[in-house]
Amino acid sequence: MLFNELQNNGAMPALERMVQFTEARQQVLAHNVANLSTPDFQPRDLDVAEFQQTLGNAMDRRRNDDTTGQRPLDIDNTDHIEFRPGRLVVKPAPTHENVVFHDGNNRNLERIMQDVAENVMAHQFGVTLLKNQFDNLRTAIRERL
Amino acid sequence: MNDPLGLINSQRPQGITPLRPPSMPGSANPAVAPTGPEFKDLLMQNLKQVDALQQEAQTAIEDVVAGKRDDFAAVMNAKQKSDIAFQMLLQVRNKMMDAYEEVKQIRV
Amino acid sequence: MFGSLDISASGLEAQRIRLNTVAANIANSHSVTQDGVTNSPFRRRIALLSEGNGQGGAGVHVKEIALDQSPFRETYAPNHPLADQETGILLRPNIESINEQVNAMEASRAYEANITAAEATKRMMANALTLLS
Repeated sequence: MLFNELQNNGAMPALERMVQFTEARQQVLAHNVANLSTPDFQPRDLDVAEFQQTLGNAMDRRRNDDTTGQRPLDIDNTDHIEFRPGRLVVKPAPTHENVVFHDGNNRNLERIMQDVAENVMAHQFGVTLLKNQFDNLRTAIRERL
Repeated sequence: MNDPLGLINSQRPQGITPLRPPSMPGSANPAVAPTGPEFKDLLMQNLKQVDALQQEAQTAIEDVVAGKRDDFAAVMNAKQKSDIAFQMLLQVRNKMMDAYEEVKQIRV
Repeated sequence: MFGSLDISASGLEAQRIRLNTVAANIANSHSVTQDGVTNSPFRRRIALLSEGNGQGGAGVHVKEIALDQSPFRETYAPNHPLADQETGILLRPNIESINEQVNAMEASRAYEANITAAEATKRMMANALTLLS
């Protein structure tokens, strides 16, 4: 009971899910990059807005029900993302972002590489903040800076 | 947050009343109670402030993760402020504990 | 965790095989015989890429290195020892160096993109490691 509340306090569960999401998305994007020259390939992606929407709803619900913010987040599964305890199971959706080239592939190289860069930054952001939260907890437990 | 045992506030009847210097029969003025804010009030105020800063930082982080705001610098700022305030409070608390231990050592 | 790196590595390997095929085509773009006696020109090779890593995972793999079935180039060279006796036509490989050069450029661009993706994955993994310290 004590440790559950420690781990679910404030923004920690949201940050954990965000880090899991960026790791899952990295796999999808790496698959798109590997198949840049494959004929008839359809690039796929995970929708960031959809993930943020369902996470935001879960946080709002928790904020309204429980003022201490120490209950675990109860996130709804979407069509493409399933929230299991400790990991995500994703089903990426095809993106229709570009014209179909002569080889049947409709990749958009610039878009994909930008998504990779953005994904790395988001992952770094989440990891930095998670580390900061753990450090604060450790400081409080140790009673020393 | 209030102290359930009533040990800090000297006004409550069930608390421990601190020793007052006995007023000598010949003295003109009785002992004057100190004026100004109580230490307890100051402490509680600071605790509430630190708590508010931490709540604000947590809300800011949750909003960034949910995509409701995108100014990362402001969020990092808020987190830093709340961390510094917390560390300051921790040090104040440690000093108070040390002072209490020292007072406990006084032999009457 | 190593899934993303495997995927990028499969992309690197596929592009390298493609580049090798292009190099073989360019090297053989004037080979008109394979046994020194008959006019059997080199047929252009094509690396066929296909989605998935061949074992059910994600990524890309080279399904096969196929022979391009387009017809050989016919050139009129009656004095060539291997030309056809009646018509004087010599068959040359169906390779055009412009096509091969463009394919080579595209393959190296895709190779670099896969390197960037692999570097990004490695950065993410290094960051996650800092959580413990």
